Amino acid sequence: MLHRRAQLAGWLTAAAFAVLPGVATAQSTVKIGAIYPLSGNAASAGTSAKAAIEVAVDIINEDRPELGELTLAKGLGLPNLKGAKVEVIFADNQGTPAAGQNQALRLITEDKVVALQGAYQSGITVTASAIAERYGIPFMTGESVAANLTERGFKWFFRTTPVASDIAKIYVDFLNDRKAKGEKIEKVAIVNENTEYGTSIAKVVGEAAKTGGFNVSVVIPYSANTTDVQSQVLQLKDNNPDAVVFISYTSDAILFTKTMQALGYKPRILIGDNSGFSDASYIRTVGNIAQGAINRSAWDVGKPGSPTFLINEMYKKKTGNDLDDTSGRVMQGFLTLVDAINRAGSTEPAKIQAALRATDLKPNQIMMGYKGVKFDDKGQNILASALLIQIQGDKYVSVWPKESATSELQLPYKGW
Amino acid sequence: MKAAPARNAVWAVAVATALLAYPLIFSSPFQQRLGALVLLYAIAASAWNIVGGYAGQVSVGHVVFFGCGAYAALATYHHTGLPPIAGVPLGIAASVGIAALIGVPTLRLSGHYFSMATIAVAELARLVTTNTEFLGAAVGLSGPTVPRTVFDLSFISALPYYYLFLAVLALTLGLTWWMERSRIGYYLRAIRDSERAARSLGARAGRVKLYAFMLSAGLTSVAGALYALMFGFVDPESGLGILISVKMLIMAALGGAGLLFGPLVGAAILVPLEEISNSVLGGRGAGLTFVLYGAIIVLIARFRPDGILGLLRLRRRAEVPPKDKTDAP
Repeated sequence: MLHRRAQLAGWLTAAAFAVLPGVATAQSTVKIGAIYPLSGNAASAGTSAKAAIEVAVDIINEDRPELGELTLAKGLGLPNLKGAKVEVIFADNQGTPAAGQNQALRLITEDKVVALQGAYQSGITVTASAIAERYGIPFMTGESVAANLTERGFKWFFRTTPVASDIAKIYVDFLNDRKAKGEKIEKVAIVNENTEYGTSIAKVVGEAAKTGGFNVSVVIPYSANTTDVQSQVLQLKDNNPDAVVFISYTSDAILFTKTMQALGYKPRILIGDNSGFSDASYIRTVGNIAQGAINRSAWDVGKPGSPTFLINEMYKKKTGNDLDDTSGRVMQGFLTLVDAINRAGSTEPAKIQAALRATDLKPNQIMMGYKGVKFDDKGQNILASALLIQIQGDKYVSVWPKESATSELQLPYKGW
Repeated sequence: MKAAPARNAVWAVAVATALLAYPLIFSSPFQQRLGALVLLYAIAASAWNIVGGYAGQVSVGHVVFFGCGAYAALATYHHTGLPPIAGVPLGIAASVGIAALIGVPTLRLSGHYFSMATIAVAELARLVTTNTEFLGAAVGLSGPTVPRTVFDLSFISALPYYYLFLAVLALTLGLTWWMERSRIGYYLRAIRDSERAARSLGARAGRVKLYAFMLSAGLTSVAGALYALMFGFVDPESGLGILISVKMLIMAALGGAGLLFGPLVGAAILVPLEEISNSVLGGRGAGLTFVLYGAIIVLIARFRPDGILGLLRLRRRAEVPPKDKTDAP
């Protein structure tokens, strides 16, 4: 009896306490941890982010002279670290702040990564970066946009993406530009999914629109996993705004587009904020009935043969899809981080931090349409920006501002 | 029958020693954190066990109390600047109050209807919080990012958390043990076995169930507050998501619902299983973690529905002439 119980106790102990030892490292690799949602609600976005980082690793580790001035494209590995290769250890945040933080700790203490990147959902970026801050390890996010992330007084946190206020400014500038051209734009409606992403962007866009002299005639929050949006669309139809801004995830963006067609509703200007409207499956499913929908993006594929075009080809070869804006921003964050490690010429966290602070990338050294990368004291990229793109045919083309546009803006919203 | 208590005492001392020594033997940061997480979930599952295990009222809305604790701690910090721990009494008071409020009507419901009512309450709480600016709405609330004083209980090492959680777990199990032996404990088991029979013998079923529900709610809220202290962040999904209720339930059921150490055993198996499988398999991105997790739950449900400790008790009964534990006092 005792024997059996000892056996059971031993088994329990083994199950409870067995932790796999960190994988032994080859000398000439630089290890970076990447925390993304590889399971759960946002798994699709996380998997795309993972693929984008893998493409970036390929660009860094292999010789890619065809990509021009893009950081670390030329030559093998990191030149300032004797050509060391970059190795990324991926971790699944499972869509929960707890798992994100546990994995951050594991990557830092078990896998001994020199820097971290992640974590897609802003709430998880909060908890994961808190661990990096405590351990003094640089944390880069290329995609989380919540305003408070850079307001925490962190010394080890960096963000390359534009944030909600930058995005709101682009929309308002655009609407004001149309107004200046003589179009009647007074009433603006906002339709947002009601979790963190939709609520925070809706709030900032609403405030910016009011300051910009527009009448925010109606704000319609809804739940992203809803299966019927007829009442929301009827509410819009009734309100009849001049422009509608949608802040939606994928399935709900598709549902709205279909419902609008079914009910025969077309606003003059339809803006679909990134997320759902940028998803490859959105264009595939309803692109033909969303002609003229305007979206923001910092990613533009560009002309055949250009570095961005080639990056898109590499990504397409790997995943079968075009690179979307979010994954592009992930990739730019990663390239910026590795560039700093290379300039630091060391894997010491403090030196990487100093190099990140000294970052000053020009538009031709980056793949996204930012004006460059340069961090302020809070770690926010002050040169982050975006442009407006529009669905014309079966893809997005850049239409505004004029100087970066590749196609003519088509208004009003055509739909189907 | 003298052998059983002595054996129990030996068993308890062994468990206590192992728990005290664990973080000193397994001293890497990740292992210590794993230990702390096991204890944290054991507290929550043990609290659930009082009403779900002993009284047999399967609450699937316990996350309401968990969220109460987490939100009380971080809202206190956010709005007053006091250390989050100052919000713990507030969380307990709110939880016990809510338990009383929802317990009176819902505990009259039997079986599945009670579970359904608790789910509804939990979802309601999540939706209301998502739209309440005071509680951070959809964005959530953060704790102190950099510890100001030791009272912020914000540590780099998991060791202080481990012993803090261990102390709270000891308190929780102590209360449960006391309740198990008191008149109320006998009533609860009688109610679980047959509420109608218990009533007909004079047990005041409604009131006893309500007391158990309130005690359980208060302790669950402490678990929520400890979670918020350790992770420093709560939003509607992570503080009030239905999956947390389900986790408490599964851990208690796996270890043995209605047994003192059942939830601890359940947590000691499931938490490392989840964390380690996520560490090893998660990066590959196929969601294998949950496949494994689910498979183990299915196996246990099929072969040991009364939990792992139930297996142990079965063996003991075969050895010693049985004495039915659910005898009336």
